Amino acid sequence: MARIRIVFESGEPEQIVEFNPADAPFQHDGQPGSILDVLLGHHIHLEHACGGNCACTTCHVIVKQGFNKLSEASEQEEDLLDRAPGLTPTSRLGCQAVVDHADAEIVILVPRYTINQVSESRDE
Amino acid sequence: MSGEPGAGRRPSYLARIERILDHARDTRSLFLRVVEGGRPRWTPGMFISISIPLADEMRVRPYTIASSPEDGEPLEIVFNRVTGGTGVAWLFERKPGDEINFTGPFGAFTLDHAPERELVFIAEGTAIAPIRPMLRRVLEPKSGNPVRLLYAADHADHLLFRGEIERWAMAHPRFHFETVVADAGYEALYARIIEEVERRWVGADNDRTRHFFVCGVGAGVLSIRDALRGAGYERRAVRYELW
Repeated sequence: MARIRIVFESGEPEQIVEFNPADAPFQHDGQPGSILDVLLGHHIHLEHACGGNCACTTCHVIVKQGFNKLSEASEQEEDLLDRAPGLTPTSRLGCQAVVDHADAEIVILVPRYTINQVSESRDE
Repeated sequence: MSGEPGAGRRPSYLARIERILDHARDTRSLFLRVVEGGRPRWTPGMFISISIPLADEMRVRPYTIASSPEDGEPLEIVFNRVTGGTGVAWLFERKPGDEINFTGPFGAFTLDHAPERELVFIAEGTAIAPIRPMLRRVLEPKSGNPVRLLYAADHADHLLFRGEIERWAMAHPRFHFETVVADAGYEALYARIIEEVERRWVGADNDRTRHFFVCGVGAGVLSIRDALRGAGYERRAVRYELW
């Protein structure tokens, strides 16, 4: 079984998901077997404003462990990551990063700010 | 807001459909007036994520704001019927007065200020949506660098906002607007766009300082990207969004 440990920068309690990558897709958004697919399929929310279509960076995650157990990033994903707030060398888009090792041990950090918005607040 | 772990606190809005405009038999605009949630702010190119209630679940689908922040509300979204598109099928059933929930605006394909270079927009069909408010923004100053739009469609009816864009071209001598219509299928349409792109901005000169914003559907957009980057344009000067 593969395992993803999810750490939230917001301080929410950590979550752990165990799954068989061969069972993907787990739902309908993002690449089948992607971090987004796995999390949503196990009732853990990850932002995906564009529907998991590699058109925004709201599903940006930082991979703390197991980076080389994920599919390689496409040029399109890299282009989008360039626009992600808090970009790191191990940043990935959750909708594109596919867990393709059956025994992968992945740890991800979900940044506090993942959204490409004009403002975090809104005018009253 | 979801009670699931990881669910954030996203600005969410309730909007009422104020008006519907049919551009063609299969292409429609909805004009949305927010009635709950405050006043959304956005940058040209951003989209909103609309909650689409299906039989047994709620899905979220992105729709680019085709109107300009300068005009405020109502927000305009534009879409066309696509085979198997449950989101647009639901939207086509909406009537004036119906209410829609959305979050956002979001987006990485945005343009706030014109770069200090010649700027080229390339769009296909409804993918003019993010380009339209970008054009309005960069044409706001009376003077500036040249701005070009190459707008393609499979049929003249699918060249949206054409009258408005032609008026901008008349009013701004630095803005050049050209269209391509090719009704021979997706592959042929994008092949034609790439041919036009290479003729104008690859083969015609050695200037590689232009900035590009490309929006369209499917892998054809990546082919345009590759043609431009392969010709020597800076990676970050070739921005694109693929629907």
